[in-house]
Amino acid sequence: MNRRVYLDHNASTPVHPEVLQAMLPYFSERFGNPSSVHGFGREARDGMETAREQIADFLKVSKDEIVFTSGGTESDNLGIKGLAAARGSGHIITSQIEHHAVLRTVQTLEEQGFTATYLPVDGDGMVNPDDVKKALRADTILVSLMGANSEVGTLQPIREIGRITREAAVPLHVDGVQTVGKVPIDMGAFGIDLLSFSGHKIYGPKGVAGLYIRKGTKMASIQHGGEHERRRRAGTENVAGIVGLGKAVEIRGRDMAVEGARLTALRDRLWEGVRAGVAEVRLNGHPTERLPGTCNVCFHDIESESIVLGLDLKGIGVSAGSACTSGNVEPSYVLEAKGLPLDWAMGSVRCSLGRGTTAEDIEYVIESVVPLVAKLKTLSPVAGAAPAVS
Amino acid sequence: MRYSDTLIDHFRNPRNSGMMRAPDGVGEGEYAQCMDLARFYLRVRDGRVEEARFQAYGCGPTLAACSAGTEVAAGTALEALAEIEDGRIEAALGGLPPERRHAAKVVALALRAAARDAMARRAVH
Repeated sequence: MNRRVYLDHNASTPVHPEVLQAMLPYFSERFGNPSSVHGFGREARDGMETAREQIADFLKVSKDEIVFTSGGTESDNLGIKGLAAARGSGHIITSQIEHHAVLRTVQTLEEQGFTATYLPVDGDGMVNPDDVKKALRADTILVSLMGANSEVGTLQPIREIGRITREAAVPLHVDGVQTVGKVPIDMGAFGIDLLSFSGHKIYGPKGVAGLYIRKGTKMASIQHGGEHERRRRAGTENVAGIVGLGKAVEIRGRDMAVEGARLTALRDRLWEGVRAGVAEVRLNGHPTERLPGTCNVCFHDIESESIVLGLDLKGIGVSAGSACTSGNVEPSYVLEAKGLPLDWAMGSVRCSLGRGTTAEDIEYVIESVVPLVAKLKTLSPVAGAAPAVS
Repeated sequence: MRYSDTLIDHFRNPRNSGMMRAPDGVGEGEYAQCMDLARFYLRVRDGRVEEARFQAYGCGPTLAACSAGTEVAAGTALEALAEIEDGRIEAALGGLPPERRHAAKVVALALRAAARDAMARRAVH
């Protein structure tokens, strides 16, 4: 039986045992509707409000500024559309490498008459703060940028960008789905007005997330119904999920710094091991300003899905940079935006490490990937494979 | 994505991979939508494929389909190989998920091209 190594934590993470324990009562004895005024409802509401406090403490903000949603995508939609709807018209600045939850939301607003600028990134996948400054217009209503890119892990210079948006009095939305709970965020110093975050990227459950809305930020509802979440997001709250999200965030506050240093060392060992064993390989993303657990590499002249399958057969879970869907391959738009040639971008593989990843796991991955790449290269007609005996 | 045991076996242990010196026929199949490329080399005796080898760039199913394609080709008359259909390759793999059917397509395309090349060379000689 193969060893099993999960290196896809940027896609999702296992629920932390303490999180699961915290959630369980809210599926059974504390099942009430938090909007109900009776004791059953109060129990559920208390659990939910504890979670709100845990998150507010972690972010050092007021608990009234936290709104719960069903996922990172909804948080991004609520943040961007909610602010846009309150303004009615105007210009939005974002980047070319945002998650589709942001890109497609902004594109939809363009169809409704808003205008948008999609900033480029440099070869490391980083937005230049000067580009943000230059893109600002009199009618700019929002700057929406990710804290870190999920594919390559590059951290954006949010502090510098926040200084610019604050000076211009333009609200800043940060898609923090990959950053909250992984790297420190100073809400005040960064000048963030809206922050999306999600549970299942940080050992919480799927289907629950949140949006920080700075007090005084004018927003409109985009989902209509009851008076939930102070009229900012209608719909009965996912109480058990929210309790799990709160606990997950609390644990990140406790473990993040130590784990970040450990993962950075493992991530760098993985890259060194692969680089030492494979001739044509390159690292994607910023060499240092990068998420602790993210290591995205490109192998030349081989296709990433064949590497993913080969590693899967060794019990290793990683993700392919180029996705082949229904016979159409889509090279990563993130890698394209940072100027990576197609013959490299087609061979990109993302390894994202997490709290369960060990040094032995990383050695096993290195021992598996090096011969696999060598074997795939011998099959490749574009890699100058040696002739077989005939 | 679930693949058949046969497909996985071909991927793990590709048969007849690599170039062939002085082949009797060479053919390529390209599937532009996903950039897959399959190349087959044929050795022919008495109008039938004696040996087939392949090189390929693509996803796991495409590499496996190439391996299976060499086994399908071996012993097949050139005229029949020149007409081979995708379904024959897919069957040799024990089936393909709908979103990976291009693997059989690119291999059948390359095998037909290799067979036609061998037939053309034979006609010249």
